[in-house]
Amino acid sequence: MKINHHADDATIMAYAAGTVSEGFSLLLTAHMEVCSHCRERMSLASDLGGELLCEVEPARMSQEGLSNVLSAIEADIIDPVTPFKSPSASSDMASVLMEYVPRGLDELPWQRLMPGIRQYQLTGVESGNGSVRLLSISPGIRIPHHTHLGGELTLVIEGAYEDEIGHFKAGDLADLDASCNHQPVAVGNKPCICLIATDDKLRFTGLLSRMVQPLIGI
Amino acid sequence: MLAVTKLFNESENMTAIPVSDTRTWLRSVAERRDRHAFEQLYGYFAPKIKGYMLRQGADDASADDLAQETMVQIWRKANHYDPQKAAVSTWVFRVARNLQIDRMRKLKFYEVALNTEASSTLENLQHNEQLEHRTDTDKLRKLIGELPEEQMEVVQLAFFEGLSHSEVSCRLSIPVGTVKSRLRLAFGKLKIGMGEKI
Ligand SMILES: [Zn+2]
Repeated sequence: MKINHHADDATIMAYAAGTVSEGFSLLLTAHMEVCSHCRERMSLASDLGGELLCEVEPARMSQEGLSNVLSAIEADIIDPVTPFKSPSASSDMASVLMEYVPRGLDELPWQRLMPGIRQYQLTGVESGNGSVRLLSISPGIRIPHHTHLGGELTLVIEGAYEDEIGHFKAGDLADLDASCNHQPVAVGNKPCICLIATDDKLRFTGLLSRMVQPLIGI
Repeated sequence: MLAVTKLFNESENMTAIPVSDTRTWLRSVAERRDRHAFEQLYGYFAPKIKGYMLRQGADDASADDLAQETMVQIWRKANHYDPQKAAVSTWVFRVARNLQIDRMRKLKFYEVALNTEASSTLENLQHNEQLEHRTDTDKLRKLIGELPEEQMEVVQLAFFEGLSHSEVSCRLSIPVGTVKSRLRLAFGKLKIGMGEKI
């Protein structure tokens, strides 16, 4: 899959440091299942974490620490093997999303927001004040004007859209921050389905955002 | 057992252990379930993991528990470690970080497997030692040491204190954009220095 739009370096670092929201980690994982460019940068950012860990000021462990640990591993009946989930090759859907969309996109109880725009909110993803949702936008439909006061990640699952930044198709990730003010429009002959995660630190304070938020929720 | 514990308490501050030693220990744990090698890993990493948990805001008792629990996971997951994909410290960091997120922030944390050939890890451990990460980690350590102070500051706040971009921005009274650009500059130096085409 040729991917043209990626996560920002600052986002990759926050992901490696573990400071992103659950929704962001879900979306970034879905992207990285298909994107080796971001996976490589994630590896480097994780190496950075490892080096920083080696240089952290050590703290004396409690007297019983080691014996506690040894007792715990001795209590293991068999050595549990917890395999890493490997990317699924059988489906176009990122394997990390299958948990939330088990029967495919068509079977979701989509909710109509306005003509040409449907949404499905992923339940069970902790996202604080933000949200994680799928949007389905019919061809030619434009998302109402909105600004981002926090971070927003958009991953195209199916179809394509265009905005001031460029053309986004399946696998592409838009990593937008507060300075961005965009108006995406779905292009092509089938609906554009996107996964959108907003930051859990997001605060809606602007008049425009307050007006748009109840309408579309992003 | 007591003698061993004492030995490690005394060596807690000894940080100059070669990277190859930690890899040898982890390999012995993965291949032979070697308790002695595991105790060496404990002596080296547990105090650092505890230090990391303290920086993340855990109290002393919780940080101790979390460091212990991380070590238990290292024992249990040792056979997943792939020396071709990452340095031992990187792998240990990920285990500690994921536990910290799970226990302290009570969040799920999704992460793509950076090592996609988990099934062949034991084989890799045995046959691919020449592909070790020692040179890379030395180079990376040097590059990190050369980062300007203001860039290192934001990196540390993110990695050690678990602060999001906006929290770093509040802490330092600088705009979020500045936080991000410092992170990008720091990461850019590491990327170029490591010669990655990324
Ligand atoms: Zn990417």
